[in-house]
Order: sequence, then structure tokens, then C-alpha cells
Amino acid sequence: MTIRSTVVGSYPKPPDEGQRFDVRKTIQGIDRGETTVEDLKRAQDELVTAIVGEHEAAGIDVITDGHARWEDILTPFARNWAGFEIGGLLRWFDNNTYYRRPVCTGPIEWRGPSSVEAFRFAVSVAKTSTVKAVIPGPVTFARLSVDEYYANHENFVAGIADVLAQEAAELEAAGATIIQIDEPALLDAPEDLALAKAGIAMITDGLSGVETVLGTYFGDAKRIGTDLFDLPVDGFAFDLVSAPENIELIKRAPADRNIQAGILDARNTMLERSDDLKVQIEKLLEVVDAGRLSVAPSSGLEYLPREKARAKLELLGSVTKEVGA
Amino acid sequence: MSKVDLKGPGLWTTSVGSFPKPDYILSARGKFARGEITKDELTDLERRATREWIEFQDSIGTDLLVDGEMYRGDMVAYFAEEMPGLEIGGLVRSYGNRYYRKPIATGPVGRDAPITVDWWRYAQSLTDKPVKGMLTGPYTICDWSFNEHYATRRDFVLDLAKVIRDEALDLEKAGARYIQIDEPAASTRMDELDLVIEAMAIVTEPLSAHTITHICYGDFHNAYPKMLEIPVDQIDLEFANSDYSLLEEFSDHPFTKYVGLGISDVHTHELESVEEMVEGIKRSLKHIPPERMFVDPDCGLKTRTVEEAKQKLSNIRQAVDAALTEL
Repeated sequence: MTIRSTVVGSYPKPPDEGQRFDVRKTIQGIDRGETTVEDLKRAQDELVTAIVGEHEAAGIDVITDGHARWEDILTPFARNWAGFEIGGLLRWFDNNTYYRRPVCTGPIEWRGPSSVEAFRFAVSVAKTSTVKAVIPGPVTFARLSVDEYYANHENFVAGIADVLAQEAAELEAAGATIIQIDEPALLDAPEDLALAKAGIAMITDGLSGVETVLGTYFGDAKRIGTDLFDLPVDGFAFDLVSAPENIELIKRAPADRNIQAGILDARNTMLERSDDLKVQIEKLLEVVDAGRLSVAPSSGLEYLPREKARAKLELLGSVTKEVGA
Repeated sequence: MSKVDLKGPGLWTTSVGSFPKPDYILSARGKFARGEITKDELTDLERRATREWIEFQDSIGTDLLVDGEMYRGDMVAYFAEEMPGLEIGGLVRSYGNRYYRKPIATGPVGRDAPITVDWWRYAQSLTDKPVKGMLTGPYTICDWSFNEHYATRRDFVLDLAKVIRDEALDLEKAGARYIQIDEPAASTRMDELDLVIEAMAIVTEPLSAHTITHICYGDFHNAYPKMLEIPVDQIDLEFANSDYSLLEEFSDHPFTKYVGLGISDVHTHELESVEEMVEGIKRSLKHIPPERMFVDPDCGLKTRTVEEAKQKLSNIRQAVDAALTEL
């Protein structure tokens, strides 16, 4: 078994400098009544095809569609489920990036899949890489939303986990072999660990052959500690750029769990030196079996301009191959 | 030794900084970007819009004016464009379908010439009331830029602080008696509040003007009362959008500086009534005396329409007048 290269999820939507930004134009056009939803779907299909192509050209083993159709990781789900409205803008963790806060105003109900069609399309254009599905985790979804209905955090998380479980099952039915459940907000809410465990169990219990990954980024998991590994998932993603100390937790991970190590800075344009990355991977290999190790950027790459994100992907792909050779 | 030289018992009205750009500016900026008009033509229109906003503020009796930033886009990119060492980078997403160009530090930051002084002079020439000098703070410029040059964020922030200090000194030399150094990013990471303080000290130490910083509502509970150590005379905060919950913190730890009391939520089309605003001022007066209180909207008004912004500013003026009669 060799080390795999992967990504956390998002990828820049703007094109290279000087090229036409069709997706932005088309969305603006819809607001003005000049373009249609079909035009947007076509532009997004082209964008996803290009994003998948860039990941494959860089030699990334496990990829995503770059979340290219999403405003943020919550809105596409909140919009599709009964019980939610889309609220105002809020800062996305410690980034100068904003998301729309979902507001729960009624019972949360499933009304069909939110991400399956996009997943299928990415699979259809991928030639060599495995496409990973990404969904938000129930604790992160609840913590980043406003609950005006359940008035009880535990019930709110469970309500969200219930519909996420259906989403995950639909993704598996559509052919997903890897599903990443993003819980960045759990890092700052260690008191929610039991809720996360119950909610994630609702999701993973319904899956049969899927490899699951808990996605964390933007911080350290030291306040949760090794209890994190009680979560019923096959692997854990850590951001080793924002929090190099996460290596201590990786050292104490059970041997039967996968580790996704975020070692390239997804939030700064400075390109890492390949020798530094190789040293870091060698250190990881001292504590994680190669077959259980994936290396990745520290978070989604959409915080970077397109060319810079692509350069990081290319570096990640080449370094992973050289270390594995 | 108050540096505030405004008349009256306090409760002066002001604004946080930006105002909405009228349609003719938005379309002119688009035309300029496409090369259809010249820089001079764009500047003429920006001067007209600045004049209109100064006239509006004077017409409603604003005490401390701003130029409205008709000529600025993003509050960090505006400075980055003029600073050696910072390059304007590619597009990154702000939210939804909105993108901005994020600067990249590629060398030591510096300043070839004053950046904001000519605009300040122009705005001040249009009114007898004082106009604030408006700067973006070093911590925020660092936090909202990429860094390919400095070994640490601290090195980057402290170098930026020297540039912003020089700009503030030039504003003071031109006659500015009120200088605001905005740090909206300051409440993002509590572990860097010491760095915000250290950098602000570099900027404000040589100034004799009344200094202000605006901080957007973040993790206020954890940032207060430590925030009071930021070396400025006044901190401008958002009160309306949290229903004045910040005041609770002031019971345990008195607010010792001048306050910029934000009494109108800038993220909503809804207009607070004059009565609601008066109520908010009265609640706040239990914690801070009128002679240390400026009253303004929560934040810059640039995301509102021109009409909405004018209504909010007019209501603030009426609310302050009502509160003044009851002092």
C-alpha cells in the first residue's frame, strides 16, 4: 500500500487571470433575467470538468468536484431540506470569507438528495481519480445555524443528523466509496463530542461499504484529545498547518484508523518547498502506516486564487509520488 | 486634556466610514475597468459624490463627518494598491457569487507618497465641521492579505504599522484632528489581541489627534475588557445588531474610553425607528456618560442603498436630538 494524495474539498471557481469567469457572469445574469438556470448548469458543468481535470493532471488520487456548485458547505443542504430558511452573512471561522447562516424555523425533513446529482456528474468526468463525496457534519451544521424551532441543541443536532444520514445513503447508492463528514466546528465545541458521536453514528450506521473520514480544519483538536477517536468513522483529517500540534494526536490514533494529514497551507499563496514536505511525510510515516496515510492541503483550497491553488495541487501530487516511489 | 473639540454636552453624531456609492459611480467604475473612461473622468465623479455626501451630512447636522469613501473599493486593497511590497493578487471568494482581489506581501511594505491625504483635504474643504481621517489598521491589512515575504505575522503587522503611522502623521500635518484606524479583524483571534495592541501603539504614539478604532462584532465576550488596552481614545462598536448585549459586559468592567455607539444595524434593509434608537442611547447612557459618547451606525453603510443609508443617518440624528433634550 502506498500513501494517497487527496484534497479537503473546495477549489477556486474564478478562472486563471484574463479568462472569462462564466459561472459568475451567469449567476449575475440570472439576477437580471438575462441567463437561465440551464445556462448556469452548463457553466458549472464546464467548471467541474476543468476542476476535475486539474486534480487529475496533478496526479491527486482522491478528489472532489471542488464544491463548485455550492455557495458554501451549508446553504445547498439548508435550501433543500424542509425546516430551514437562509439567513444573513456570517464570518466563516477566522477567514475573511462569509457564509449564509441557515435558520431553522420548523421540523427538518428530507425532500430528496442535495448533493447526489453533482457527485454523479463529477464521477462521470473523472478518468483516473476516485471522487470523494463531502457532507457537513451534524454538530458543525447545528453550531453554524440558528435554531428557532427545536429549542434544544441535542434534538436539533439529531434532526440534522437524520437527514444527513439519508443524504449519505443516497451518495452510497450513487456509487460513493469515500464520504467525508466535515466537523470543523467540533474543535471549538468539545462539549458536543457525545452529540457528534450519536449524530455521526446515525450517518455511518446506514452505510455498508463506504470509507468514512471525519474532516476537521482551521485548528487543533487537543481539547477533544484522543476521545475524538471514539467517533464511528474510518479515518480523521487534521490541519497540520494551522495547528502543527495535531501531530501529537495523530501519534496516539488507533492503528486501525486512517489519517488524512493537511500539510500544504490552503490559506496562503506561498508555495511550500518540496523537500520540507517530504520531511514532513517521512515523519508522518514513522507513526502512520503508508496504507493508512493520505496527504492533503490544510483545508479547502478556495481561499487561494486559481493558479496558486493549482500549483499547490501539482506540488502535492508530485511530492506524494516521489515519497511513495 | 480631551482632544475632542466639538461643542455641546456630548452625544455627537458621526459615521463609521463608508457610504453607498450612487449608481453613477458604480457604472463609472465599471466603465473605467473596461477602459471606456479615463481616471480623471472617474475622479471627477467621485468628487461629485463626495461633495453630495458631505452636503447631506451637513444638512442633517452631523457633528463629525466622513468622506464616504466613494473612491475606495475594498478597504484593504485600496491601501495595498498604493503600497510597495504588496501586490494585488487573483480573485478569491468573499461569499456566494462575490469575489475580491486579495493582496499578497511579496517584499517589505512601504509607502511612496501619502495615500489618503488629498481626498481628506478635498472633503474638509467642503465643510466647516471636522472630517475624520480614515485608515485601515495594520492587523487587518495583514490578516486580509497573503504573506510570501515575512517570516512571521508579527513582523508583517509591525512593518505595516509603521506605514500606517506615517500616513496618520501626514493626515495630522494636513489638519486632521480625528483619525480612525479600523481594525475589523481584531476580534477574529483572541490569541493575537496583544499584537493588535502592539501595532496600534506604533500608529498612535506620535499622534496628537483624537484616535478611534472600529472593531466589528466578533468574539466580544472574550475580547473585553482586554480590548480597552488598544491605545486609542475611542472604540467604535456595533450595538444594534446584538440588541445592546455588549452593555452587560460594561457592568462588570466599566468602558473607560470614548465610545462610538452603533445604533443602527447595517446588514438589514429594515430601518430602526427613532424611538428604538432613543431607547438604545438611554440604555447605553447608564454605562457611559454623554461627554464620551459618539453615536453612529453599527458599521460602514456601503452595502445599503443610498436612500436607506440617508434614512438611517437621519433617524440617528433625530434620536440623538431627542436624547439630548432629556439629558
